[in-house]
Amino acid sequence: MIKGRKEAVLGLIMVSPAFLLLLIIVVLPIVQTFVVSLHSEDGGYDLSRYAFLFTDRLMRMNIVFTLKVTVISSLLVLLVSYAMALFMSFSSGKLVDLIRKTYMIPLFIPGVIATYGLINLLGNHGWLSRMLLPLGIALPRLIFDEKGIVIANLWFNIPFTTMLLTSALAGIPASVIESAKDIGAGRLSVFLRVIFPLSYKTFLVALTFVFMSVIGSFTAPYLLGPNSPQMLGVSMQQVFGIFREQEQAAAMAVFTFLLCSVLGYFYIRSMAKDEAARM
Amino acid sequence: MLWYFRGIGKRKIVEFVLLAAFILFFAGPLLNLVVLAFSGQWAYPDLLPNQWSLRWWRFVFQQDDVVQSIGLSFLIASIVTVLSIVICIPAAYAFARLRFPFKRMFLFSFLLTHAFPKMGLYVSIAVLFYKLGLMDTLLGVILIHMINVLMFMTWIPTASFRSVHAAQEESARDVGASPFRVFRSITLPMAMPGILVASIFTFLNSLDEAQGTFLVGMPNYKTMPIIMYSIITDFPSSAGAVFSIILTAPTILLLLLSQRFVSADVMSSGFQVK
Repeated sequence: MIKGRKEAVLGLIMVSPAFLLLLIIVVLPIVQTFVVSLHSEDGGYDLSRYAFLFTDRLMRMNIVFTLKVTVISSLLVLLVSYAMALFMSFSSGKLVDLIRKTYMIPLFIPGVIATYGLINLLGNHGWLSRMLLPLGIALPRLIFDEKGIVIANLWFNIPFTTMLLTSALAGIPASVIESAKDIGAGRLSVFLRVIFPLSYKTFLVALTFVFMSVIGSFTAPYLLGPNSPQMLGVSMQQVFGIFREQEQAAAMAVFTFLLCSVLGYFYIRSMAKDEAARM
Repeated sequence: MLWYFRGIGKRKIVEFVLLAAFILFFAGPLLNLVVLAFSGQWAYPDLLPNQWSLRWWRFVFQQDDVVQSIGLSFLIASIVTVLSIVICIPAAYAFARLRFPFKRMFLFSFLLTHAFPKMGLYVSIAVLFYKLGLMDTLLGVILIHMINVLMFMTWIPTASFRSVHAAQEESARDVGASPFRVFRSITLPMAMPGILVASIFTFLNSLDEAQGTFLVGMPNYKTMPIIMYSIITDFPSSAGAVFSIILTAPTILLLLLSQRFVSADVMSSGFQVK
């Protein structure tokens, strides 16, 4: 009994520094920001900062633009990553081996660098346009355009998503797939009835990560996005850093939290359930 | 030639083209930077530089703020890594081995760092730091770097500690080893790969962090990625490419050294329950 109590105290002591840090750099700022976002211009409290998000024409354009880029990017990332993860798990060949060994490298490349590489590669007079010139193909405008942001999002998110999905697929025992095949299931039905149901949770986790990373992105849209409309991340930085309107920036931050809240809630709940199942 | 392709079959060719496109998509931008960094003159529409040179390397190393930023970045990354090891590893051990109240709640609270969009979270922190006077301070920059690493620095080592079989620890205890000795000689070495991966990931993450530093550390804490923002807009693209290589070199080096330990399984245990 006493041993148990000692263990409990020791455990709490060991966890508390990390937990305190979490309170200071995540929980406290979010609560504080929520309060600040309710400050009105005349010193009282109201929802005027939120109303501005929907009444200001530019701001509304930014929001629509952000959502559009996010949805398109998320769909494309998940499509490519799932295909890639399946391919890597169930195929072999020299090229696949090469990808298996190297696909995680972009995870470690600084975002600024990758963005800069993309600007140079895809920009006006960039390397790609030089390569396509002899073939008589002219590139559409990619950089300083919404397409550029989507492409950068693919570059940043596909490796991570593929990694999550690959590790989920690796957890599916080969025997399960074999036995499904033995009783006559085709490729498609093996995927729909066996592989997808066994990996859909990771699929949703991956969706959460991509969705949030795009909505909360800054570097790529800042460096290679259009001047207007802007992604919310860039716009937030400007409102905070250049216009010095903290309250407005706070309202925008809370708004992005709300946009992600459903997925964020789902992510935490599904993790908690998994953990409960294995404890 | 044609008979060869016919022999392989259409499916194989399509597969090959798609995989090659996948590789080129990711390698292209980086390859482009390497070529740019060693080019002296590269006129449009030539496919390769007309003249190769190391001129821009000299140019970049002559910029004072560039050299300073390298030192600053490594200093910050080292502090962040050491600090997060000291803070997170004990927590990870407790999560894996000890029974204490509200354990699950504590473990899941770390998910909060990844349950909010990054830029929104950074702005929230900046609003708080502004009130606390932490804007443009070393402590402020370090704290904002810790956000990204807090979760996997706790979760990856937790998973590694858990994967050490209790039976091994018990048998060491049975032959008379003290609890500390067991931790040092059995548990820690076996959990080391995970801790190592988490630490390296932390170091690189801090080295590469741009958005939060840009918001909180300006104008005095210009780390390498922040300098990169201004190089992109102010300098010719070859100078930017040279600096890109300098900024990426530590990443590549550390990755090569730790290649053995980095796997999809270890990494993803930092972001989800396995």
